[in-house]
Parts: sequence; structure tokens; C-alpha cells
Amino acid sequence: MNDLERFPDPRSMTHTDEAGETRLRGWRCEECSMALALESPWCPRCLGTLREVQFGPFGTVWSSTVVRIPLPGRTPPYGLLYVDLDDGPRVLGHLATLVPTQVAIGEKVRLVANTELGDLAFEIV
Amino acid sequence: MQAFIQGVGTSLFGKQPELSSAQLVWSAVAEAMQDAECTKVDAVFVGTCFGEPGTAQRSLHRIGLVGVPISVYENACASSTQAFHEACVAVDSGRFGSVLVLGVEHLTSRFSGAIPVEQRDHEGRTGLALPALYAMSAARYQKLWGLTDEQLAAVSVKNHAHGMLNSRAQHRVAVSSEEVLASRMIADPLTLLQCCSIADGAGACVISSAQTSSRDVRVRSSAFQTGRLWNHESEHVWGYQLVKDTATSAYEKAGIGIEDVNVLEVHDAFTIGEIVTTEALGMAEEGGGGELVASGRTTLGGAQPVNPSGGLLSRGHPLGATGTAQVAEVVWQLRGEARARQVPDARVGVVETMGGGAAGVDGNACVVAVLTI
Repeated sequence: MNDLERFPDPRSMTHTDEAGETRLRGWRCEECSMALALESPWCPRCLGTLREVQFGPFGTVWSSTVVRIPLPGRTPPYGLLYVDLDDGPRVLGHLATLVPTQVAIGEKVRLVANTELGDLAFEIV
Repeated sequence: MQAFIQGVGTSLFGKQPELSSAQLVWSAVAEAMQDAECTKVDAVFVGTCFGEPGTAQRSLHRIGLVGVPISVYENACASSTQAFHEACVAVDSGRFGSVLVLGVEHLTSRFSGAIPVEQRDHEGRTGLALPALYAMSAARYQKLWGLTDEQLAAVSVKNHAHGMLNSRAQHRVAVSSEEVLASRMIADPLTLLQCCSIADGAGACVISSAQTSSRDVRVRSSAFQTGRLWNHESEHVWGYQLVKDTATSAYEKAGIGIEDVNVLEVHDAFTIGEIVTTEALGMAEEGGGGELVASGRTTLGGAQPVNPSGGLLSRGHPLGATGTAQVAEVVWQLRGEARARQVPDARVGVVETMGGGAAGVDGNACVVAVLTI
């Protein structure tokens, strides 16, 4: 993956809080409350000031799939899902299971960590 | 809008590694300029996505298209549809009298399999190939609207059947619903035969501010927009709102409604794409696109055929060339020159192309144009 280190990692970051839960580093607009998973210089909706907040670990599956084609640096199959974090942004993550499956839409999931490859990872609650 | 399409042309579409980009360009441009009965234009507007810098100039100087401004547009799958849009605006505003629109893409010289995802994009870096993005729309539709695997497959069956009648198409083979569903899974629920494949090709058209022949097709309107934010607050699957907004604008400018349209070429890079797009274009209520295609209304012989050329699924999808090929098909249909795949008495046609790839927006670009004769 060395060739990818030539530019900054564009993905969201996580950290573990005092309770041992994985949280997403995000931002919220102080004017319109817009939740963001990616750093921006100002709110893309109302141009308001952003402050850093934590989101997760819980969320709801918006949709999911299993990717079965090879992509550079990836070993298929792997499960991908869009998750609407509770009171937070929609993020794309991987399903943290050895045998990937399509997760039911509406399923509750928990952010568990970044994978070895640095992706957000979720498990079914 | 005062803009007329005087000539169109395309190369063959498909994997053509033995041909250079220039050779593909020459065949498309030669056909378009002969069709338009013109030997010079005031400008060239080019659409290409993965074409190397200078692709157009490298091709065009060898056929004498020099000494005029050449502009290049990139908007993913909508690259040459945007070039077409810009050309129509340019002649309508009086900036140029005539513009050659060129779309070109030589994907086999760039990629061997699926187009790799952009690693500078946060979702691309997370492993989201475009089939997976569309697959998640399909999964959402299956849950929300009861869209069936068979309805998804019906798009592929229809467009492959249409492509059988198009000698320029990449995949001229009929497929059954069973074959579509039994083909290799790419990203659940989308199988291989529900995904367009990479191809090489070029397309061209000549746009003029004046009508000089009864064969000229009028561009009644053309609308072009980039998507709004696509996030947890978005009501629809990716791309729906952008196509709907762009189509609404194009219909209003043209003074028509979807019920007036006889034939459409739309962006069916994946089966679910055509289903969502036909809904966004107003052909069905949201969630009704599966029933629409299954009903036969959008099949040749139906009331409003969609993708008579075979679409991206059958004709192939050399990204930057796709828009010009869509325009060419609608022009042939409106002139009555579409031969075995002719839609009878087609008077009003619509071209729609959607380009994506940047996470967080509801589409990099969408173009909807209304053409009449």
C-alpha cells in the first residue's frame, strides 16, 4: 500500500473513548447542526462554524452489499455498508465478519474499529 | 434554444486495443462531418474522462482540424454530454456558428478489468467500486419498493435485445432473465450481465446555430447540473434527485412533458441505474421503475422505448464517448434512420447522462437534453 501513502488518507478517523467504545471523529455546525464525517473549513450547508464532536458507536444500516470483484489492494469478497450513525452523518464502512453477507436495511450496527486496511468497520448489534 | 444537430457519427464500440484513440476519433468525426456536409467548424468541444492530456489535439491535427479553439470537458460518464451541452449553449449565445462535439475514450489501454476506484476519494479509498454504489441503491429499492431480481434483470434483457439490432454495439447477444441472474455476482444484488463493461470508442456531432436542412435535429433544450449534497439527510437513493432536477429544468425550457417524449437514451451503466433514472425522468412514480420495464412500455414496440441502441449495457460504455453516442442514436431515431430498431414516428427524443464518482455529492454531473425534428 506504499503507493497510497503519497497523499493524505481521505477517510474518517476513529478513536476509543473512556468507556471502550469506538467513536467517529466528526464535526457539527454550530449554526444549523449539520453533522459531518469529514473535515471542512465551514459548514457546506449554511457556511456556519464547525466544532469537532464524536459520533457513534451505534447506527442504522441504510444499505449494504458484498463486493465480489478484485480491486487493487483488496481481497474479495467483502461486505460494505452505508450506516447512518445515531444523530450523526452517513458513513461507508466494512462489515467486520469473516464471511461477508448483505446486512438487512434498518439493522442496528456498532462501529468497532478501523480495519487493518484503515477502513471503518461495523458489527451487527 | 437555437441549436441544431447537423451531423452525427460514431466509431464501433467495444474492446478495440488494436486501434488508437486517433483512429476511433477519425471514424466518428468523418461520419459526423460528412453527415453534416461540412468541412470546417468554428470550435471543437471534447469530452473525455481518462483520456491522456492532448488526446483530442493529437487526433484532430492529422485530419486538418487545427487553428480553432479546442476545449476539453471532464465529468465522468457525462463528459461528452456536457461537451454537447456547452456546444449548444455556445452556438445559441452566438459565440460560435458551429461546433464539433467529440467524445472519446480508450479504456483498454488504461485498465484490464473494472475501472479502479479513486484512492483520493474517501469512499473510493474504502473500497467502494461504482458497481457497489449502484448495488446499494438496488438493495434499498428491493427493501423499500419490493423491486425484484427479475425486474432488475429485465433491464439487461431488454437492452441486450435492442443491441442485437445495433451493428455498432459491443455486446450483440440476446440474454435471458435466467442467464442474467445466473451470471457471476459482482456486488449483491447486481450480477455481471447487469453491469456495463469497459470499451473503446468515439462519437461526434456537429452543432450549428442555423438550420440548413430538413434533416437537422433541433436541440429544444439542454440542462446541466451538479448534484447537491448526498448524505444522511437525502430522501432518495444516489442520483435520483439530480436527474429529476435536471430533467425538470430541461422539460420546462423545452415546454414539454415526459408524456410528449417518443424515445429516450438514458444512463444504464447498471440495471438499477435505468430503473431509478426512468423514475426520475417522470416515466413512473418513485418505486415504479421495476414495473415500468417489466411492462414492456420501454421496450422497442412499446409506447416509450428506452435505450433502443442497446444502452450502455449492450452498446458498451467508453465513458467519454457515451454522451455523443446517445445523441447520435436519438438523432437517427428522429430522422427515421434507425433501421431495424426504428421507433415509429419518433418526433421528440430525450438524452440523459449521469456522471458520478465523487463521494458526498448526488452526482458529479447530469445532462438532460430534449431533441425534436
